[in-house]
Amino acid sequence: MKNIITKTLTSIALLLSTLIVGCGPSKPTLNVYTWSDYIDDTLIAEFEKTYNCNVIVDTFDSNEAMYSKLKAGATGYDIIIPTSYMAKLMFEQNMIEKLDLSKIPNSKFIDKRYLTNLAFDKTMQYSIPYMLGYTCIAYNKQKLGTLDNSWNVFAREDLKGRMTLLDDMRETIGVGLFYTGSKINNTDDKALEKAKNQIIAWKKNLAKFDNEVYKIGITSGEFLVVQGYSGDLLQVVSEAKHLDIMIPREGVSISCDDMVIPTTAPNKDLAYKFINFFMEPKNAAKNMAFTCFFAPIPEAKSLAKDIDLDRIFPDVLYTTGQLIMDMGKDNKKFQNIWDEIKMTK
Amino acid sequence: MNNKKYSKPLLKSKLSLPELLLSMPSTLWLVLFFLIPSFLVFAIAFKTADPSGGIDDTWTLQTIKNVLRTEYVSVIWRTIWVSVVVTIICLMLSIPVAYWISRQNPKYRYWYLLAVIVPLWTNFLIRIFAWRILLNPEGILRKSLIAIGLLPDDVFLLNNIGAVIIVSVYTSLPFAILPIYAAAEKFNYSLLEAAQDLGASRFKAFYSVFIPGIKRGIFTAILVVLIPAMGAYAIPDLVGGVNGEMLGNKIAIRASAYRNLPEAAALAALLSIIITIPIILALVKQRGLTKSTLGNKNSARGVSK
Repeated sequence: MKNIITKTLTSIALLLSTLIVGCGPSKPTLNVYTWSDYIDDTLIAEFEKTYNCNVIVDTFDSNEAMYSKLKAGATGYDIIIPTSYMAKLMFEQNMIEKLDLSKIPNSKFIDKRYLTNLAFDKTMQYSIPYMLGYTCIAYNKQKLGTLDNSWNVFAREDLKGRMTLLDDMRETIGVGLFYTGSKINNTDDKALEKAKNQIIAWKKNLAKFDNEVYKIGITSGEFLVVQGYSGDLLQVVSEAKHLDIMIPREGVSISCDDMVIPTTAPNKDLAYKFINFFMEPKNAAKNMAFTCFFAPIPEAKSLAKDIDLDRIFPDVLYTTGQLIMDMGKDNKKFQNIWDEIKMTK
Repeated sequence: MNNKKYSKPLLKSKLSLPELLLSMPSTLWLVLFFLIPSFLVFAIAFKTADPSGGIDDTWTLQTIKNVLRTEYVSVIWRTIWVSVVVTIICLMLSIPVAYWISRQNPKYRYWYLLAVIVPLWTNFLIRIFAWRILLNPEGILRKSLIAIGLLPDDVFLLNNIGAVIIVSVYTSLPFAILPIYAAAEKFNYSLLEAAQDLGASRFKAFYSVFIPGIKRGIFTAILVVLIPAMGAYAIPDLVGGVNGEMLGNKIAIRASAYRNLPEAAALAALLSIIITIPIILALVKQRGLTKSTLGNKNSARGVSK
């Protein structure tokens, strides 16, 4: 999901494809802005064929990078797939459309349980949930045996220099909050102080805070324990027999990426068709197998036979998982704590 | 020699129209893509951010005060010492290499230069990832160093400040070798023989005749290594450890995750100031040197340029 190389390559590919498309006959073009490796290419090809159009996929590596690019005036995107908290912020800033659900008949397939229990946008006013994932741990089973399912693995001094936590303010402080018995969106000063001290205590055992190289690192044996996003880690684990996933019992954050249509979208009709296409259960099932993330579409479950849905999104997370919320003014608290964590030796 | 011939009239006369026209494109380019953006960075530093990532309308000194907190001192200090160490190592490696290449048969020199440049054909990030494989805790280098007892087995080669220095030296070395080679190539090597004839040891001749002779090249090398090193972002991010953050990383997180452009701008402005002051001092000193060289008509130093 977050990989500099893929990002660079995709930008080059995008640039080239724009040039090529620019010369071709005028088919309608749909510009999609999303995370890397997040949409099955064969489904895109199928969509292009069905609606006789070109789809250009551009990628971002963080919600904030995408957000600041749009804020700086970037236009031309028809579909964006941000994380829920960012979709909410974008809606509040009038950057995305209010959706006309009659143009997305397949929105009826979306899991009501997800919408009522977890979603911020419970009526799908401005966003359609695309994929759910959670944050967990991947570890080297061959070297460590089966691990106890707790975040406290980061206290193991014998693994010093071989473990990573995410380089993400909210996710990483969130781990501290979970482990000290709190919730991920807690802004109480005492709770945050405890979480901070917990991360600082673990920090001396970490190799680094990392979003980029942990996937390669855990496969190559450089790292033995890494915190990461479920889809990414499951993709890695499915290709490497010596690795396994662990879901800490203290709690994990879940995140949902939503499809939204920016107000500046040049091709809104096609954008609605695109969303509708991916909400089709058989397409969602295929997409899950490709991304290892979980589409909240119950009808897709029965169609997705050869994937382990219990690992892609354990059912219990519907009740125990917590979604990261944008804290508005209180973001500053998290930023100060994150700075302190980074600077404490 | 060149100084006497060309620099003197240039310093005195005004630019002619053709000269102005010729320098127009580059001047425009610099104004559009360097001066104006730099000015904006400095201007935004006097603003504050709102929680949604926008920039407030009022002007304030608060952001500047924020980044001058003591917590930043350690990061600024780390940025400076790492960059200086990288520059020194680069010079120590590139001066002998440039000397050696410039002493080779001209027929083969360009092949050696090509060998210096070849690594640049591969993408910068891919080369950093290659270093990650090389320095990997399970990698052949660390394993063999431990096996022959040169490395205690709780020491890692990756994800620490040492790795940042090694990879930075590696990536900037070609940029240090090239200007020093350019200066060394023009150096009159019979001066070294003359120095030895007059009783200087080989080292003494190298140190007090060759080094001053190529000082322009060394100066350029220092600039092209030190400045990018101060602004490093990708290398500390990818091979640095939990305590490897440099100023570039601090700026990046403020511009992205914190949605605080003013604070990012204030830090960037601070970085530019830290970089600019030594350069201006160096330039002023160089100017002084050039003038005194020109003024002193009997000086033989013109030869060593």
